[in-house]
Amino acid sequence: MDQDSVTYDSLIARPLPKWLTDQRDGLNTIQPARIEMKDDRSLTVSFILTGAIILLAVTVLTIYILRKKKKNQ
Amino acid sequence: MNGIQIKTLLLSALLSLACTTKVSEWVLVNAPAGRYTLVYFNKDQISETVRTRNAAISREISTANIDFRTVERQGIEKPWYALYYGNRLFARYDDPKSLAGLTVSTLRQKIASEIMAGKLCVLTYLTTGNKEKDDRGMQIIRNALNDSPFKNIITVTELNRNDAGESHFVSMLLNVEDDLNTIQEPMLFGVFGRFRALEPLLGKGITEENINLMIDFFTADCSCVIKDDLPGMDILFTDNWDNPSTAMVNRILDENPDLLHH
Repeated sequence: MDQDSVTYDSLIARPLPKWLTDQRDGLNTIQPARIEMKDDRSLTVSFILTGAIILLAVTVLTIYILRKKKKNQ
Repeated sequence: MNGIQIKTLLLSALLSLACTTKVSEWVLVNAPAGRYTLVYFNKDQISETVRTRNAAISREISTANIDFRTVERQGIEKPWYALYYGNRLFARYDDPKSLAGLTVSTLRQKIASEIMAGKLCVLTYLTTGNKEKDDRGMQIIRNALNDSPFKNIITVTELNRNDAGESHFVSMLLNVEDDLNTIQEPMLFGVFGRFRALEPLLGKGITEENINLMIDFFTADCSCVIKDDLPGMDILFTDNWDNPSTAMVNRILDENPDLLHH
Protein backbone atom coordinates (compact mmCIF):
# COMPACT_ATOMS: atom_id res chain seq x y z
CA MET A 1 0.00 0.00 0.00
CA ASP A 2 2.90 2.30 0.62
CA GLN A 3 3.70 2.41 -3.02
CA ASP A 4 0.20 3.46 -3.99
CA SER A 5 0.89 5.26 -7.14
CA VAL A 6 -0.26 8.49 -8.65
CA THR A 7 -0.86 8.42 -12.36
CA TYR A 8 2.31 7.75 -14.28
CA ASP A 9 3.02 8.87 -17.83
CA SER A 10 3.40 5.31 -19.00
CA LEU A 11 3.53 1.78 -17.70
CA ILE A 12 7.29 1.83 -18.23
CA ALA A 13 7.58 4.73 -15.78
CA ARG A 14 5.48 2.92 -13.21
CA PRO A 15 7.77 1.62 -10.46
CA LEU A 16 8.02 -2.03 -9.51
CA PRO A 17 6.32 -2.97 -6.21
CA LYS A 18 8.36 -2.06 -3.15
CA TRP A 19 8.31 -5.65 -1.79
CA LEU A 20 9.94 -6.76 -5.06
CA THR A 21 12.69 -4.14 -5.15
CA ASP A 22 13.37 -4.73 -1.45
CA GLN A 23 13.64 -8.47 -2.07
CA ARG A 24 15.92 -7.88 -5.06
CA ASP A 25 18.15 -5.50 -3.08
CA GLY A 26 18.23 -7.69 0.03
CA LEU A 27 16.44 -5.10 2.18
CA ASN A 28 13.81 -7.52 3.49
CA THR A 29 16.41 -9.32 5.57
CA ILE A 30 17.65 -8.40 9.02
CA GLN A 31 20.18 -5.64 8.71
CA PRO A 32 23.02 -6.32 11.18
CA ALA A 33 23.93 -3.43 13.40
CA ARG A 34 26.95 -1.52 12.14
CA ILE A 35 29.90 -1.82 14.50
CA GLU A 36 31.96 1.35 14.57
CA MET A 37 35.50 1.53 15.93
CA LYS A 38 35.95 4.20 18.57
CA ASP A 39 39.10 5.56 20.28
CA ASP A 40 39.94 3.49 23.33
CA ARG A 41 40.39 6.00 26.17
CA SER A 42 40.01 3.51 28.97
CA LEU A 43 43.78 3.53 29.81
CA THR A 44 43.88 7.34 30.08
CA VAL A 45 40.77 7.37 32.24
CA SER A 46 42.27 4.64 34.39
CA PHE A 47 45.54 6.62 34.90
CA ILE A 48 43.65 9.81 35.77
CA LEU A 49 41.39 7.98 38.24
CA THR A 50 44.35 6.19 39.88
CA GLY A 51 46.28 9.46 40.16
CA ALA A 52 43.28 11.22 41.65
CA ILE A 53 42.75 8.46 44.22
CA ILE A 54 46.45 8.49 45.20
CA LEU A 55 46.42 12.29 45.56
CA LEU A 56 43.26 12.12 47.64
CA ALA A 57 44.72 9.40 49.88
CA VAL A 58 48.01 11.33 50.35
CA THR A 59 46.11 14.55 51.16
CA VAL A 60 43.82 12.81 53.67
CA LEU A 61 46.70 10.99 55.34
CA THR A 62 48.85 14.18 55.44
CA ILE A 63 46.08 16.13 57.13
CA TYR A 64 45.46 13.21 59.54
CA ILE A 65 49.15 12.91 60.50
CA LEU A 66 49.64 16.68 60.84
CA ARG A 67 46.61 16.96 63.14
CA LYS A 68 47.81 14.02 65.22
CA LYS A 69 51.25 15.62 65.59
CA LYS A 70 49.67 18.92 66.66
CA LYS A 71 47.62 17.15 69.32
CA ASN A 72 50.68 15.33 70.70
CA GLN A 73 52.62 18.59 71.00
CA MET B 1 37.07 -9.85 26.89
CA ASN B 2 37.27 -6.50 25.11
CA GLY B 3 34.44 -4.32 23.85
CA ILE B 4 34.43 -5.65 20.30
CA GLN B 5 34.27 -9.27 21.46
CA ILE B 6 31.33 -8.47 23.75
CA LYS B 7 29.50 -6.68 20.92
CA THR B 8 30.12 -9.57 18.52
CA LEU B 9 28.80 -12.03 21.10
CA LEU B 10 25.67 -9.93 21.68
CA LEU B 11 25.06 -9.57 17.93
CA SER B 12 25.45 -13.33 17.40
CA ALA B 13 22.97 -13.98 20.21
CA LEU B 14 20.48 -11.56 18.63
CA LEU B 15 20.85 -13.14 15.19
CA SER B 16 20.38 -16.61 16.63
CA LEU B 17 17.08 -15.43 18.13
CA ALA B 18 15.88 -14.11 14.74
CA CYS B 19 12.79 -15.74 13.29
CA THR B 20 13.40 -18.69 10.99
CA THR B 21 9.73 -19.15 10.13
CA LYS B 22 9.13 -18.46 6.47
CA VAL B 23 7.17 -15.37 5.44
CA SER B 24 4.22 -17.33 4.00
CA GLU B 25 3.81 -19.45 7.13
CA TRP B 26 4.37 -16.65 9.61
CA VAL B 27 1.74 -14.41 8.01
CA LEU B 28 -0.84 -17.22 7.90
CA VAL B 29 -0.35 -18.10 11.54
CA ASN B 30 0.27 -14.69 13.08
CA ALA B 31 -1.03 -11.80 11.00
CA PRO B 32 -4.77 -11.22 11.37
CA ALA B 33 -6.50 -10.10 8.20
CA GLY B 34 -7.14 -6.37 7.95
CA ARG B 35 -10.80 -5.48 8.39
CA TYR B 36 -13.18 -3.90 5.94
CA THR B 37 -16.17 -1.78 6.84
CA LEU B 38 -19.51 -1.88 5.08
CA VAL B 39 -21.41 1.34 5.74
CA TYR B 40 -25.08 1.92 5.08
CA PHE B 41 -25.63 5.64 4.49
CA ASN B 42 -29.17 6.85 5.06
CA LYS B 43 -30.72 10.25 5.56
CA ASP B 44 -34.06 9.47 7.21
CA GLN B 45 -35.24 7.14 9.88
CA ILE B 46 -34.64 3.54 8.84
CA SER B 47 -37.81 1.64 7.96
CA GLU B 48 -38.54 -1.77 9.41
CA THR B 49 -37.97 -3.40 6.01
CA VAL B 50 -34.51 -1.85 5.68
CA ARG B 51 -33.70 -2.71 9.29
CA THR B 52 -34.57 -6.36 8.63
CA ARG B 53 -32.57 -6.35 5.39
CA ASN B 54 -29.53 -4.83 7.08
CA ALA B 55 -29.76 -7.34 9.89
CA ALA B 56 -29.70 -10.13 7.29
CA ILE B 57 -26.68 -8.57 5.55
CA SER B 58 -24.92 -8.16 8.87
CA ARG B 59 -25.58 -11.82 9.74
CA GLU B 60 -24.38 -12.97 6.34
CA ILE B 61 -21.03 -11.19 6.58
CA SER B 62 -20.49 -11.73 10.30
CA THR B 63 -17.93 -14.50 9.79
CA ALA B 64 -15.73 -12.40 7.50
CA ASN B 65 -13.10 -9.74 8.16
CA ILE B 66 -15.66 -6.96 7.90
CA ASP B 67 -17.77 -4.79 10.19
CA PHE B 68 -21.17 -3.35 9.38
CA ARG B 69 -22.21 0.17 10.36
CA THR B 70 -25.13 2.47 9.74
CA VAL B 71 -24.44 6.17 9.28
CA GLU B 72 -27.04 8.91 9.05
CA ARG B 73 -26.01 11.57 6.57
CA GLN B 74 -27.99 14.59 5.46
CA GLY B 75 -27.98 15.80 1.87
CA ILE B 76 -27.93 12.44 0.12
CA GLU B 77 -30.54 11.61 -2.50
CA LYS B 78 -31.04 7.96 -1.63
CA PRO B 79 -29.49 5.44 0.73
CA TRP B 80 -26.48 3.43 -0.40
CA TYR B 81 -23.86 1.03 0.84
CA ALA B 82 -20.13 1.74 0.77
CA LEU B 83 -17.25 -0.68 1.20
CA TYR B 84 -14.16 0.72 2.93
CA TYR B 85 -10.75 -0.75 3.63
CA GLY B 86 -9.23 1.50 6.26
CA ASN B 87 -10.27 4.92 5.08
CA ARG B 88 -10.23 4.00 1.39
CA LEU B 89 -13.54 3.74 -0.41
CA PHE B 90 -13.41 0.55 -2.47
CA ALA B 91 -16.92 0.31 -3.88
CA ARG B 92 -20.35 1.88 -3.77
CA TYR B 93 -23.53 -0.21 -4.01
CA ASP B 94 -26.84 1.50 -4.71
CA ASP B 95 -28.67 -1.80 -4.99
CA PRO B 96 -28.49 -4.10 -1.95
CA LYS B 97 -28.74 -7.09 -4.31
CA SER B 98 -25.28 -6.27 -5.62
CA LEU B 99 -23.89 -7.15 -2.16
CA ALA B 100 -24.57 -10.82 -2.83
CA GLY B 101 -21.36 -12.83 -2.63
CA LEU B 102 -19.42 -9.94 -1.10
CA THR B 103 -17.48 -12.05 1.36
CA VAL B 104 -17.33 -15.40 -0.37
CA SER B 105 -17.06 -16.81 -3.88
CA THR B 106 -16.04 -20.08 -5.52
CA LEU B 107 -12.55 -18.97 -6.49
CA ARG B 108 -11.83 -17.37 -3.11
CA GLN B 109 -12.88 -20.61 -1.40
CA LYS B 110 -10.55 -22.57 -3.66
CA ILE B 111 -7.63 -20.22 -3.00
CA ALA B 112 -8.20 -20.29 0.76
CA SER B 113 -8.35 -24.11 0.79
CA GLU B 114 -5.03 -24.28 -1.05
CA ILE B 115 -3.40 -21.93 1.46
CA MET B 116 -4.88 -23.87 4.40
CA ALA B 117 -3.57 -27.10 2.86
CA GLY B 118 -0.04 -25.79 3.38
CA LYS B 119 0.72 -24.42 -0.07
CA LEU B 120 3.30 -21.65 -0.27
CA CYS B 121 1.01 -19.23 -2.10
CA VAL B 122 -1.58 -18.99 -4.82
CA LEU B 123 -0.56 -17.00 -7.87
CA THR B 124 -3.74 -15.35 -9.09
CA TYR B 125 -3.43 -14.34 -12.71
CA LEU B 126 -5.92 -11.60 -13.57
CA THR B 127 -6.45 -11.63 -17.31
CA THR B 128 -7.68 -8.84 -19.56
CA GLY B 129 -9.54 -10.69 -22.30
CA ASN B 130 -6.78 -9.84 -24.78
CA LYS B 131 -5.73 -13.38 -25.71
CA GLU B 132 -2.29 -12.45 -26.99
CA LYS B 133 -1.29 -10.54 -23.85
CA ASP B 134 -2.88 -13.06 -21.50
CA ASP B 135 -1.24 -16.07 -23.17
CA ARG B 136 2.17 -14.42 -23.18
CA GLY B 137 1.97 -13.75 -19.43
CA MET B 138 0.71 -17.25 -18.69
CA GLN B 139 3.55 -18.80 -20.68
CA ILE B 140 6.09 -16.82 -18.63
CA ILE B 141 4.42 -17.95 -15.39
CA ARG B 142 4.52 -21.60 -16.53
CA ASN B 143 8.19 -21.32 -17.53
CA ALA B 144 9.13 -19.73 -14.20
CA LEU B 145 7.31 -22.40 -12.20
CA ASN B 146 8.68 -25.28 -14.26
CA ASP B 147 12.18 -24.20 -13.31
CA SER B 148 11.31 -23.60 -9.65
CA PRO B 149 11.97 -26.19 -6.95
CA PHE B 150 8.78 -24.92 -5.31
CA LYS B 151 6.53 -25.61 -8.31
CA ASN B 152 4.54 -28.32 -6.52
CA ILE B 153 3.59 -26.09 -3.62
CA ILE B 154 2.45 -23.13 -5.70
CA THR B 155 -1.01 -23.05 -7.23
CA VAL B 156 -1.82 -20.86 -10.22
CA THR B 157 -5.38 -19.68 -10.73
CA GLU B 158 -6.65 -17.67 -13.64
CA LEU B 159 -9.33 -15.05 -13.24
CA ASN B 160 -10.84 -12.93 -15.96
CA ARG B 161 -11.42 -9.35 -14.87
CA ASN B 162 -14.89 -9.50 -16.45
CA ASP B 163 -15.97 -12.62 -14.56
CA ALA B 164 -19.39 -11.67 -13.19
CA GLY B 165 -19.33 -14.37 -10.51
CA GLU B 166 -16.09 -13.03 -9.08
CA SER B 167 -16.79 -9.32 -9.53
CA HIS B 168 -16.21 -8.50 -5.84
CA PHE B 169 -12.91 -10.39 -5.81
CA VAL B 170 -11.79 -8.68 -9.02
CA SER B 171 -12.76 -5.29 -7.60
CA MET B 172 -10.73 -5.91 -4.43
CA LEU B 173 -7.69 -7.06 -6.40
CA LEU B 174 -7.89 -3.96 -8.57
CA ASN B 175 -7.96 -1.86 -5.41
CA VAL B 176 -4.68 -3.26 -4.07
CA GLU B 177 -3.10 -0.16 -5.64
CA ASP B 178 -5.04 2.92 -6.57
CA ASP B 179 -4.23 2.98 -10.28
CA LEU B 180 -4.74 -0.68 -11.15
CA ASN B 181 -8.30 -0.05 -12.33
CA THR B 182 -6.97 2.11 -15.13
CA ILE B 183 -4.39 -0.38 -16.40
CA GLN B 184 -5.57 -2.86 -19.01
CA GLU B 185 -2.73 -5.33 -18.61
CA PRO B 186 -2.58 -8.86 -17.21
CA MET B 187 -1.64 -8.85 -13.54
CA LEU B 188 -0.11 -11.49 -11.31
CA PHE B 189 -1.03 -11.31 -7.63
CA GLY B 190 0.76 -13.42 -5.04
CA VAL B 191 -1.92 -14.44 -2.53
CA PHE B 192 -0.74 -15.77 0.82
CA GLY B 193 -1.41 -15.70 4.55
CA ARG B 194 -5.00 -14.91 5.49
CA PHE B 195 -5.86 -13.93 1.94
CA ARG B 196 -3.34 -11.18 1.57
CA ALA B 197 -2.57 -10.08 -1.98
CA LEU B 198 0.80 -8.56 -2.82
CA GLU B 199 1.02 -5.57 -5.11
CA PRO B 200 0.98 -7.28 -8.51
CA LEU B 201 3.44 -7.82 -11.29
CA LEU B 202 1.75 -6.45 -14.36
CA GLY B 203 2.23 -6.31 -18.11
CA LYS B 204 5.90 -6.48 -18.98
CA GLY B 205 6.72 -6.72 -15.27
CA ILE B 206 5.59 -10.36 -15.42
CA THR B 207 9.01 -11.88 -15.99
CA GLU B 208 10.63 -15.09 -14.81
CA GLU B 209 13.09 -13.05 -12.75
CA ASN B 210 10.33 -11.14 -10.96
CA ILE B 211 8.27 -14.30 -10.37
CA ASN B 212 11.34 -15.90 -8.80
CA LEU B 213 11.77 -12.83 -6.59
CA MET B 214 8.15 -13.25 -5.52
CA ILE B 215 8.82 -16.89 -4.62
CA ASP B 216 11.97 -15.78 -2.78
CA PHE B 217 9.86 -13.31 -0.81
CA PHE B 218 7.52 -16.10 0.35
CA THR B 219 10.28 -18.59 1.16
CA ALA B 220 12.57 -16.17 3.01
CA ASP B 221 12.86 -16.00 6.78
CA CYS B 222 10.25 -13.64 8.13
CA SER B 223 12.29 -10.68 9.32
CA CYS B 224 11.09 -7.85 11.52
CA VAL B 225 11.31 -5.62 8.46
CA ILE B 226 8.49 -7.59 6.83
CA LYS B 227 6.50 -8.09 10.03
CA ASP B 228 6.48 -4.38 10.77
CA ASP B 229 5.46 -3.31 7.29
CA LEU B 230 3.72 -6.21 5.63
CA PRO B 231 3.26 -5.45 1.95
CA GLY B 232 -0.02 -6.00 0.10
CA MET B 233 -3.65 -5.81 1.10
CA ASP B 234 -6.10 -8.24 2.67
CA ILE B 235 -8.98 -9.55 0.61
CA LEU B 236 -12.43 -9.88 2.09
CA PHE B 237 -13.15 -13.48 2.98
CA THR B 238 -14.60 -15.71 5.66
CA ASP B 239 -12.36 -15.06 8.62
CA ASN B 240 -11.65 -18.63 9.74
CA TRP B 241 -7.96 -19.44 9.58
CA ASP B 242 -7.58 -21.81 12.51
CA ASN B 243 -5.45 -24.96 12.31
CA PRO B 244 -3.81 -24.71 8.88
CA SER B 245 -1.85 -27.73 7.65
CA THR B 246 1.91 -27.73 8.10
CA ALA B 247 3.62 -25.49 5.56
CA MET B 248 4.94 -27.66 2.72
CA VAL B 249 7.83 -25.28 2.13
CA ASN B 250 9.61 -26.48 5.28
CA ARG B 251 9.96 -30.05 3.99
CA ILE B 252 11.45 -28.84 0.71
CA LEU B 253 13.92 -26.58 2.50
CA ASP B 254 14.86 -29.32 4.98
CA GLU B 255 15.61 -31.70 2.12
CA ASN B 256 17.45 -29.03 0.11
CA PRO B 257 19.36 -26.79 2.52
CA ASP B 258 21.05 -25.09 -0.45
CA LEU B 259 17.70 -23.42 -1.17
CA LEU B 260 17.73 -21.66 2.20
CA HIS B 261 18.19 -17.94 2.06
CA HIS B 262 17.81 -15.32 4.73
